[in-house]
Amino acid sequence: MASIIDPKFKRGFWQDGEPFVWGTAAALSAILISITILIAVIMVNGLGVMWPSDVALLSLQDGAQVFGLPLREDPILGSDAINLQIKTGNRDLYGADFRWVEKGTVRAIEYPSDVYTLERMEYGNFYGRFKRLGDGAAPASSEDLEKAWQAGQEEKERIAAAAEEVNALSRRIDGISGRVLKLKHSGTPENDATLQGLLGEQETAKQELQGRMAEQSALTQALLAHTATFVDAGGREMTIPLMNIVRLYQPSQMGIGAKSRFYLSKIGELLFDEPRESNTEGGLFPAIFGTVMLTFLMSLLSFPLGLLAGIYLREYAREGIFIRIVRIAVNNLAGIPSIVYGIFGLGFFVYGIGGTIDAWFFPERLPTPTFGTGGILWASLTLGILTVPVVIVSTEEALGAIPRGIREGAYALGSTKFQTLVRVLLPMASPGIMTGFILAMARAAGEVAPLMITGVVKLAPTLPLDAEYPFLHLDRKFMHLGFHIFDIGFQSPNVEAAKPMVFVTTLLLVLIVLLMSSTAIYMRGRMRERYSVRSL
Amino acid sequence: MSEKYILRARRNDRIARWIITAGGVAIIATVILILVLIVEVTLPLFLPVGAEPLAEVSLPAQLRHEDVLLLDADEYMRDGLVLTRGGRCVFFDLKTGTVKHTENLAEDASRGEALACSRVGAQQYCMRWSSGLVTIVTPDFGLSEAENHGVAKPYAVEELQSIPASVEPGEIATSVARYTDEGLVTRVDLLANNTFRVAQRSVSTDLMGNESVEAYESLIDGLPGGVSAYTLDTQGEWLYAGTADGQLIRWDLGNLGSPKLVGAHKATEDNVPVTALEMVFGDVSVAVGTGSGKLTTWFPVRKTPEAVTKQLAPIHDLAPHDSAVTSILTSRRNKSLVSLGKDGSIHLDYPTSEQHLLSLSRAERVVKTGYTARGDGILALTEANRICVWRIDNPHPEISLSTLFGKVWYEGYDAPEYTWQSSASTDDFEPKISLVPLLYGSIKGTFYAMLYAIPLALFGAVYTSHFAQGRIRNVIKSTVETMAAIPSVVIGFLAALWLAPIIERYTVTFLLGIMIVPVLIVIFVMLIQPLRQRPFLKQVEQGFEFVLMVPVVLLACTLSYMLAGPLEALLFGGDLKQWLFESAGQRYDQRNCVVISFALGFAVIPIIFTIAEDALSNVPNSLKAASLALGASRWQTVWRVVLPSASPGIFAGIIIGFGRAVGETMIVLMATGNTPVLDMSIFNGMRTLSANIAVEIPEAPLGGTLYRVLFLSAVILLVFTSILNTMAELIRQRLRSKYGLNN
Repeated sequence: MASIIDPKFKRGFWQDGEPFVWGTAAALSAILISITILIAVIMVNGLGVMWPSDVALLSLQDGAQVFGLPLREDPILGSDAINLQIKTGNRDLYGADFRWVEKGTVRAIEYPSDVYTLERMEYGNFYGRFKRLGDGAAPASSEDLEKAWQAGQEEKERIAAAAEEVNALSRRIDGISGRVLKLKHSGTPENDATLQGLLGEQETAKQELQGRMAEQSALTQALLAHTATFVDAGGREMTIPLMNIVRLYQPSQMGIGAKSRFYLSKIGELLFDEPRESNTEGGLFPAIFGTVMLTFLMSLLSFPLGLLAGIYLREYAREGIFIRIVRIAVNNLAGIPSIVYGIFGLGFFVYGIGGTIDAWFFPERLPTPTFGTGGILWASLTLGILTVPVVIVSTEEALGAIPRGIREGAYALGSTKFQTLVRVLLPMASPGIMTGFILAMARAAGEVAPLMITGVVKLAPTLPLDAEYPFLHLDRKFMHLGFHIFDIGFQSPNVEAAKPMVFVTTLLLVLIVLLMSSTAIYMRGRMRERYSVRSL
Repeated sequence: MSEKYILRARRNDRIARWIITAGGVAIIATVILILVLIVEVTLPLFLPVGAEPLAEVSLPAQLRHEDVLLLDADEYMRDGLVLTRGGRCVFFDLKTGTVKHTENLAEDASRGEALACSRVGAQQYCMRWSSGLVTIVTPDFGLSEAENHGVAKPYAVEELQSIPASVEPGEIATSVARYTDEGLVTRVDLLANNTFRVAQRSVSTDLMGNESVEAYESLIDGLPGGVSAYTLDTQGEWLYAGTADGQLIRWDLGNLGSPKLVGAHKATEDNVPVTALEMVFGDVSVAVGTGSGKLTTWFPVRKTPEAVTKQLAPIHDLAPHDSAVTSILTSRRNKSLVSLGKDGSIHLDYPTSEQHLLSLSRAERVVKTGYTARGDGILALTEANRICVWRIDNPHPEISLSTLFGKVWYEGYDAPEYTWQSSASTDDFEPKISLVPLLYGSIKGTFYAMLYAIPLALFGAVYTSHFAQGRIRNVIKSTVETMAAIPSVVIGFLAALWLAPIIERYTVTFLLGIMIVPVLIVIFVMLIQPLRQRPFLKQVEQGFEFVLMVPVVLLACTLSYMLAGPLEALLFGGDLKQWLFESAGQRYDQRNCVVISFALGFAVIPIIFTIAEDALSNVPNSLKAASLALGASRWQTVWRVVLPSASPGIFAGIIIGFGRAVGETMIVLMATGNTPVLDMSIFNGMRTLSANIAVEIPEAPLGGTLYRVLFLSAVILLVFTSILNTMAELIRQRLRSKYGLNN
């Protein structure tokens, strides 16, 4: 008897397609594996960077000895030998921070306890033993060294204070020059009293500045004379001014507690200090500050505009051809490559509006641009437009999730559309709208391409917000975590030495962005649950 | 409720309506504004060249047009000058024609009168006197006190070089001379008996400051035909001559004292004479005008790949004149050239783009033209002794649709090519601005990325939406959305500095993995088939298959790693890169398409995944239920019922992902190496349109050609992604109305 079931639908492992289900499962596994690998790579490489590892003393077969941190092993192609990468530091002695040695040639690895790790202002870390202080007339112990270094640090703070005064003075001179320029531009004659007064003031300030600068450099010179001498494993001496040593410690003598405290202090430095050594060491404070400020300024444009547009689409517009076009426009806005936003920002904000502002308000400074060059204002406006669609879509979605009955109830009680919106709908939709805000901020914090052409720089001398009138300097250039990654990872002269810092920055940025977006996703999930229950 | 309150509420409502509507309209306005503003910047690239008649004045000082040897103007198009047969240089106001200054260059009677004059460089003229002397002079345009910071600058003419003749002046037909800053002076005379006499004088200064002069003289005779035009490059190193029977001959004068014939070429058809020769700015191309009015540029190329020496070849054909070309003048700013026909027509052409930019003519025949060094003004002297001046607005002559998108034969290249090289260290560089390599790079990167992303994202979405266990589904979706939030700069950095070295080292492992992973999955599925009745597997089949697949995929990767070494040794002699280079001539770039495929794919997967997953799970449950009720298995249901219904949504997801990949900047900027090459090899990098903008815009001066071309590439990106996004949105809108969904 012929089966009534079409043979096509005959049940069986292969026929009913069960292997394909397993195949699709494999695709999902592959996606999940790649996400895990990505996060793991960032974590592993980023977290360990600041831990004070013990310094090893490697004795090589040829009798040479070297201090360093063994980093990783790499098999040599085509042979069984293994290459060992060592961070040897002492760039000023060896010319490079890193060195590869074949593992077979390493006779012994010890961890001597008297080795110092010095973090320096320049040339990277130094690993070596302490020899003497100054010219070394009197013998010195490591306590003496640490005491002398502490004293040097205090002195350094005094110099920093002096430098701050010098900066304040030169800013004052800049301010006067600006006013002089303005007066001259408006056609004030040379012999005008105000002009002459200003010029006189400028002259006095300049003289004072010279005095202060001489004072500062004398202080620095005096401090530079306090040196300590260290020797590397091969016995080569290195005399280092104490003020150039940022940190000095003997990792082998530190317990777990001390090391953890050290780790925390390094994190503190990372978050609150300025970068050193062309951004490859030190802190990230200006970049973090720039990122936060940029995100904040971008929100000022993107949130209201996106909210209005979202409300319009969901509550006010009537379905029809127009609304379809708006929706297409929103989708297009979301799909425009970010670099196109960047070039738009450059053409429209920087050269267009910025150039006009310069021509109207700062003609005396031309051709030096004030607003007609990249700056934090233009970058944040560009990002503002870029993130508007995110806010629109979330707002629409949040409003759309509110059951129709609630609106009708409000109308039945006599409220106007606006009252319904403000008193009923927006409070209910607020978690969803917040989700949109957070997603927009996360997108803005991670976006780099448009910033590169609208005002981000590798090193900004001043923050866009400070104690100097008018406090908020929207025309200033700024630093950004994402650009920091690009810059030190790709434009720094010593990529290998910069890698740890790039990973730390990456970790920080990924943490910030993931924290924001997972909060947003969690909030959205909660809101969906709430309404799916309510609409039942 | 008070009346007032209601009124206020109504008013607020109206105001809110206005504001909110304005917000909605602002979105459309923004999209349009972005497009319009970017397009506006690019428009001047395609505007025709403007020629604004500036003035028309009578020849100053009662001169007649036959007296005028040369015609030029200053940089600001304020003053003009004419060099006359009497050996005078007359400066005059271009607007009014009033004479401002006359300088007598003859100095004393021994020089005789000036016979001919030609331009040497920017505002430098080579004059030949009846005494046989050749001088090179440069004018100094005067400035008034107000113009020059309170110090008036007089008009003057400075004599830079003076080179006496060593033959009887009567024997000389014509002469040209050049000099270099290194102290080499070259004078070439065409003698009456159709022979060239080359005189070179080299002055060198040794370390002690002593000057030594070496002089060389040589004759070039036995010329194949009567020389009708000739010219030297600015260094005096190459001599070009055109003959009355249409040949173009080139000599190398670089070896002092012994000129070497490099080649003779047929430059015209029907033995029409060559009537005008001039070097184009940059000294590579020579412009050739013929008796029949044809205008071509030539430069040396290697005609076959094996050829040792380069031979002249006709490269660009420019718009012909109706009559013989009498003179050619070149700009000292770019490659543009002005040619004058015998009938008085003036042409402005640009060789690189083969564009005929402008034709000018007057009612009276034009007998002489001048072209300012900056290329922004053309002067014409007519038979009626009048001088006409045009200001030329010609900012982007090198841009045309054919140079942007077609093959162009650039100077120094052996064949027309698609090339992007926007700037170089020298001024006389010919910008190469073909967008083709960049478009190609964008497509190539996107192609490889999609190759990796589409299968993973789609199958992953299918599994998540219809097979995964309910609660797990939300976790997976959130995870993938988090993946979307990872900044592209992070992905780019990891791809370039972490993944690229790994792939370089384990290339074979990766390639092998692509084959081994699916095979191992099939084997695994076959193996577990008999075990399906076990309770454990039954539970797994409730939507946890993917957990079991993780170790399988990892195992497959380990296996490919272990097999890769022996396989590489077996097939590629132990080193794939070496093998590639030797057997296929392929370079292996560390930042190549394999890296891009993973990195860009990783960035695109969440986008495709999310949209496809939405489309799949929005298919009404009734369809699925009906199919299952009819006895179809879960795969048959998904494959034959759900997938076809959701296919437009899935398609939309792919389109949007494609748009993202095309426009993505940071990843390709960091992980491709950014070399604009046309090469489909998976082991090479590329440069994409978007990365190109990021790389070049910091160096592009505002309003310059490069700046506008970069905006043009932004327009291309914008239009391209807009088309894709609009298409995707239309598909999704239709899908929504089909299933009556409201979000």
